[in-house]
Amino acid sequence: MTALALRAPWLARAVQSRDFVPLVVLTFTALLVIAPLLMILLATLTPEGRAAWEAVTNSPLSRNLWWRPLGNTVVLGIGVTLGSVLLGGFLAWLVVLTDVPMRRFLAVMSILPFMTPSFASALAWSTLFRNERIGGQAGYFASNGMSIPDWLAWGIVPVMIVLIAQFYSLAYTLIAASLSSVSGDLVESAEMAGAKRGRILFGIVLPIVTPALISGGMLAFAGAVSNFAAPALLGAPVRMQTLSTRIYGMVQTGNIERGYVLALLLMMAAAALLYFSDRFVSGRRAFVTVTGKGTRTKRFALGVWRWPLFVLATAIGFATTIIPVIVLFASSMAPRPGVLFSNWTLHYWIGPAGSAIAEGQAGIFRNPQLIDGILTTIRLGLTVALCAMVVGLLIAYTIVRYKASPYTRILSQLSFVPLFIPSIAMAAAYIAMYGTSLGPIPALYGTFTLIVLAATANLMPYAVQSGRGVLSQISSDIEESARMTGASALRRMWEIIVPLAIRGIMAGGILVFIKIVRDLSLVVLLFSASTPLLSMIAFQYASLGFMQFANAITLLILVICLLASFLAYLLQNKVQKWKK
Amino acid sequence: MEEMMTAERPAVDTSEPALAIRNLHKRFDDVPAVTDVNISVPPGAFLVLVGPSGCGKSTLLRMLAGLEPPSDGEIAFGGKVVSNGRSGVIHNAASRDAGMVFQSYALWPHKTVEGNIDWPLKVAGWKREDRARRIDEVLAFLDISALRQRYPAEISGGQQQRVAIARTIAPQPRILLLDEPLSNLDAKLRVDMRSELIRIHRATNATSVYVTHDQVEAMTMATHVAVMRAGRVEQFGAPDELLLQPQTTFVATFLGTPAGNVIPVERAGDQLCHAGVPLAPAALAGGRSSAQLLYRAQDITIGRREGCPVMPASYTESSPIAGQSMVTCMVGDLRLTAMADGFFRAASGAPVEISFLRTPDIVFDDDGNRIAR
Ligand SMILES: Nc1ncnc2c1ncn2[C@@H]1O[C@H](COP(=O)(O)OP(=O)(O)OP(=O)(O)O)[C@@H](O)[C@H]1O
Ligand SMILES: [Mg+2]
Repeated sequence: MTALALRAPWLARAVQSRDFVPLVVLTFTALLVIAPLLMILLATLTPEGRAAWEAVTNSPLSRNLWWRPLGNTVVLGIGVTLGSVLLGGFLAWLVVLTDVPMRRFLAVMSILPFMTPSFASALAWSTLFRNERIGGQAGYFASNGMSIPDWLAWGIVPVMIVLIAQFYSLAYTLIAASLSSVSGDLVESAEMAGAKRGRILFGIVLPIVTPALISGGMLAFAGAVSNFAAPALLGAPVRMQTLSTRIYGMVQTGNIERGYVLALLLMMAAAALLYFSDRFVSGRRAFVTVTGKGTRTKRFALGVWRWPLFVLATAIGFATTIIPVIVLFASSMAPRPGVLFSNWTLHYWIGPAGSAIAEGQAGIFRNPQLIDGILTTIRLGLTVALCAMVVGLLIAYTIVRYKASPYTRILSQLSFVPLFIPSIAMAAAYIAMYGTSLGPIPALYGTFTLIVLAATANLMPYAVQSGRGVLSQISSDIEESARMTGASALRRMWEIIVPLAIRGIMAGGILVFIKIVRDLSLVVLLFSASTPLLSMIAFQYASLGFMQFANAITLLILVICLLASFLAYLLQNKVQKWKK
Repeated sequence: MEEMMTAERPAVDTSEPALAIRNLHKRFDDVPAVTDVNISVPPGAFLVLVGPSGCGKSTLLRMLAGLEPPSDGEIAFGGKVVSNGRSGVIHNAASRDAGMVFQSYALWPHKTVEGNIDWPLKVAGWKREDRARRIDEVLAFLDISALRQRYPAEISGGQQQRVAIARTIAPQPRILLLDEPLSNLDAKLRVDMRSELIRIHRATNATSVYVTHDQVEAMTMATHVAVMRAGRVEQFGAPDELLLQPQTTFVATFLGTPAGNVIPVERAGDQLCHAGVPLAPAALAGGRSSAQLLYRAQDITIGRREGCPVMPASYTESSPIAGQSMVTCMVGDLRLTAMADGFFRAASGAPVEISFLRTPDIVFDDDGNRIAR
């Protein structure tokens, strides 16, 4: 450093400036997040790209390519948003603000659905409600002589239901957190003023939780419009296309520029929506009265409604978590969808090829791709969890420790951008960036590396968020006292910060692991034969109509996620034994 | 023991100041935190930075530690420049040979007491045997050998403090920096630790810089004191010098137990008067029409004394101190501290008379700067 200062003082100054580290990390983050977006934009400015713009936005094709999928996507988004906020809000109200029995149980039940991937619920739905419309085996109800109308078996309605079943728990989490910050004093003072219960709920409580309602709705909307699995399984077979399935279809059929154009449009639509809702929310922030310290909540007495509401809430929880898993399991054991609960066989798991059931298909464990798929999936999960946490910790560290730099603010905003880039659009962008060789970087299309890169960028917000939570609990004194010893930044990170942060890092890592292991929308474009992933194998089985196989693999994914969580839990109790 | 602590020290060049701060500035986004500080102390000095909260003491100390680059000016340790605000030269802590004890102790919670002391030595590249020997040495020196295998969460605040000091002195820094190390201890422990710190300072032979806002700590421990106010050094010198020859009213009223009384006076004829009572000859003010006089508590007494200026006042409170009473009373809006013999107490607001026993020898102008004579 000294020698440097003497030879190139400006460089030394730059390195020591409080902007140096933020700027380096910002550049790196921009490479991960912004560069692919720029590349996708550039790719649509070539002659082929311009033709694709023309075809998508202004041609006889554009109705099918853009307008109808857009319409479906928007309807889906709005429906899912309303459904999630209503359902999540109802449960949050019940759990936080009333004297409903077994509150903790209901709270756990309401969080669980977020753990079930949307393709699991979509497959379960299909197993139950599928009808003969597109051929293949009919589902449970249809096989048992019930007539299932098309609108209930296929298309936007089931997709919406499946997505609401997942996203209401997200809305629940946000709204419940916000509701528990409504202090009992506030409610009681309204009661003292003589306000009736409904008046208190709508006049006092609701305005306070409005920001949470809106951000819950926003996230549900963003999740719904970018979801791929549900519309691909339940909508695409009957030509109900959303933008995600359209992008997939375009890339799949070699119309890659059209896919890029659609991805860009989808991102712009998401960005516009988020911009407006954010402005709407910020205008209302004034209402948020978070006192921080021990808020005591006032619980309303439900009277005779206590048990009926409890049963309703439990039913919602069961229908969205337990039942899908039971259906998947039963279906993977039952010889035909019509008889889910008898004559169980292990054929779909380990049966040999050429037998009478399942058109001679062998069980999944006889599929040579499967073992490979399990290993690749776990390897992907671990690699992405590691990469995302390293990147997340780096960014979080910069954000927490270099607060003063203006670049830090940009960095912290940029690190959340991926949250609002639909995964499938992110995947398209990564193909645009690395699909062909780029200077010294070889073409990465179809490689494991590309999936890791894209997934790291895609999951960065979660990693950064958990990193920030962890780091903000380590005082800067602790780190400065390490700096005083003369230890290098890397050594400080490795020997002081990481050991202190390990619990939080692992919690973040497991979240990332689970998200990527059960992801479909990101890997569906990036996947190749050399990188067989469980979710993709399940998707392929499902596309061919072999629901039982798909269900079995989905169960396998759930088991991997559960095992990983459990392992992390065990490990967490092993490390940090110094913590009392 | 004490020899052992110093045995390995290379000879110190005593011709250079151990610590020299020249024209040092620090601005945070153009808001000055430290302004034009100049301090220089010889090897072995115990420099205390004292001043009210927010005056820039910690910022100055952090610049000495190399944790904060100066905006301008430079810092030299033993004649070697370690920070320069212009050229951007910053030596890291290891190469500037300084150790710091943090106010929060900042022990690494995932390392044992031993591990906390060991790590800096490991980073500095000490050999295993040397480290083991040195750890034994400092543990014994600070009397915490029994705590060796405990984690920071398992020992008391006072013990944590000792570990923090042990950790800092283990690599034998030439400069020891301490940021309000005693402020988290209870009153009794604080007094004990004061002498302990002096012992450590002597034994390590280091030059220490000690930050506090407690002027008693400053006066009891320091060989050199810098009184800071709003980012500037108000006065720098030996403790007795600051006490006997304060250069500003701020220093006069900040230091001393009890602190000095500064009484504003107006010239009336050939006398300087406060509230109409003549206190001193006008010549003291050097021709000014108004000035401020420094009276120490022992210069003012309760009751009427023959041949002394007497002023009516109202009693506020009193506390016993060394067989006398330290009495606070008000003259108008002016709060004065006086001494009374024995145990003196009166009803709150009761009228008392105070006598000024001596003609003051220290006089300030209206801006609070000492008038030279
Ligand atoms: N990182 C920073 N960014 C901006 N301003 C700062 C920063 N650190 C300190 N300051 C400001 O500089 C001034 C001096 O702060 P400093 O911490 O040195 O005071 P102090 O004398 O140590 O006070 P205390 O006795 O309360 O510890 C304060 O006004 C503070 O707000
Ligand atoms: Mg301070």
